[in-house]
Amino acid sequence: MSEPENISAHDQNAEAVPHEAEEPRFLFTPPIDIYETGDGLVLHADLPGVSIKTLELQVQDNKLTLFGRVDPVVPPQAVPLHQEYAVGDFLRSFILSDEVDHERISATMTNGVLKVVLPKAAQTKLRRIEVNPEPSAG
Amino acid sequence: MPVFRWGHSWDAFHDFEREVDRLLSSVNFAFQGIRLGREYPSVNLYELPDEYLLTAELPGSKAEDIALEMGSGLLKIKGRRSEPNGVPEERYRRQERFRGEWERTLSIPDRVREEGLTAEFVDGILKVHLPKGEQSQPRRIRVSEGSD
Repeated sequence: MSEPENISAHDQNAEAVPHEAEEPRFLFTPPIDIYETGDGLVLHADLPGVSIKTLELQVQDNKLTLFGRVDPVVPPQAVPLHQEYAVGDFLRSFILSDEVDHERISATMTNGVLKVVLPKAAQTKLRRIEVNPEPSAG
Repeated sequence: MPVFRWGHSWDAFHDFEREVDRLLSSVNFAFQGIRLGREYPSVNLYELPDEYLLTAELPGSKAEDIALEMGSGLLKIKGRRSEPNGVPEERYRRQERFRGEWERTLSIPDRVREEGLTAEFVDGILKVHLPKGEQSQPRRIRVSEGSD
């Protein structure tokens, strides 16, 4: 499985300065909330510094992966005097239950928070199978 | 012993981190894990030729919910982070994100023109620009001989 590499290699923002390949980039697991609604689940993930342009959200098979690239917000010549957090990208994956309707997953991004709505699939309808007497050959 | 668990069928919604962690061990990433147990929000301070720059991670806040106060060398930032309206606690499957009120008081470097302070808030990151003031002239302090 080479999926995480595929995701990180993906770059939608053509304007972005290419990252130096040698420089190691920090990768963080973003904190999340998941709560249930009548129609399914809602997931929130804290992704400060990630915008719609730098977010990659994908579902493959039953795996939901979010990857958010964080571009530096300070000029390169800025000298750090005090650092409580390191700047890095965000990655987290989840296994989706079959009950999630993969086709109807939707997402929004507001002020560095990703919201993913995972609707429950409609219950499969009971189908009645008609049983007919075998037509007698005679 | 069979235990009834409400919403049992949804437990198939699992985290996949360990697998991802393993997959990434071959890649040139420094894996940090969840950054918990820190003061909220985390701040960084940088120096530039003509200003100091303070950044803070405040995902989910709105610009109007962040209050900044500046005085006597201290910068106070505070706000409140509220959860989505009216979701009862028992509906949560997982709750890792910070919630509630927060406040931090930071001492800022000397030579900052307090009245020139500006702030912006983009994609959940607060940036506070603290412009440098005039460099004060060094003052010579006379040392007199003690007489005891």
